[in-house]
Amino acid sequence: MSAPAPQQELPRPGGFPEIRYKRYVPKIGPSGLVLFSGITLMCTLGLIRVGQGNLERRELEREKVWSRIHLIPMLQAEADRDTYRRELAAKEREAEIMKDVKGWKAGESVYNSDRYTTKSYVVVP
Amino acid sequence: MATYREASLPTGKFIDPTPAPAESAHPEVGATSAPLKSAAFFIGAYCKDYNEDFMLCKNENNDPAHCLKEGRKVTRCAMDLITKLRENCEKEWEAHYTCLEKHNQEYYACRKPERTLNECVFSKLKLEKVIPEASGTPIHLREKTIYN
Repeated sequence: MSAPAPQQELPRPGGFPEIRYKRYVPKIGPSGLVLFSGITLMCTLGLIRVGQGNLERRELEREKVWSRIHLIPMLQAEADRDTYRRELAAKEREAEIMKDVKGWKAGESVYNSDRYTTKSYVVVP
Repeated sequence: MATYREASLPTGKFIDPTPAPAESAHPEVGATSAPLKSAAFFIGAYCKDYNEDFMLCKNENNDPAHCLKEGRKVTRCAMDLITKLRENCEKEWEAHYTCLEKHNQEYYACRKPERTLNECVFSKLKLEKVIPEASGTPIHLREKTIYN
């Protein structure tokens, strides 16, 4: 008595159907390459414009600074006249207040130097 | 430089009423900031010698009493230029400084009135706006700008 011949297990006749492991969604919109290069282009153009703006701002700043430089002498002259007037008046008041103190020099600098220093106090009446 | 502090009295701010001594008395320009900013480059061009003389004098000695004479010359020159501007280009000048007043005193916002003013001043007073050390076309002459 002979054993039946071994039989290999085989797919069903006609084969198995395809396994649906993919999502069947239609592709929409631009491809990744287009998106990436588009964003790079936009950033580049924007940065170029920022750079141009920085250069232009530097020139605007230069214009502003020079307009101030041109005005400084006039404003300083005006301020100097006012300071001179007020300092003389303060000195006169100080002399009047301290006239009874012997050896007092009105308007004397507190520093041992001839260099001009702005007064740190004002004598008011 | 010492900080500036106002002299305050219990009754209020102290304003020195003493009149200016004869050696320093001089009428002041009396213009506000916008007209001055508008005329700044013309003042710089017109009063160059007096301004430089004054600044050299200040460099010599910072005492306000030291440069009173030069300072008077500077002020007289500025006043002279302002009278000339008023005589020759008052309309254009006023248009420019009112524009500056309205636009935070930025030059770039007021190029149109500035151009008419510059043309007028150049044709009548022969003064030109020059920005020293500017790179490329001077900013006030550029047609296409990013800030405007």
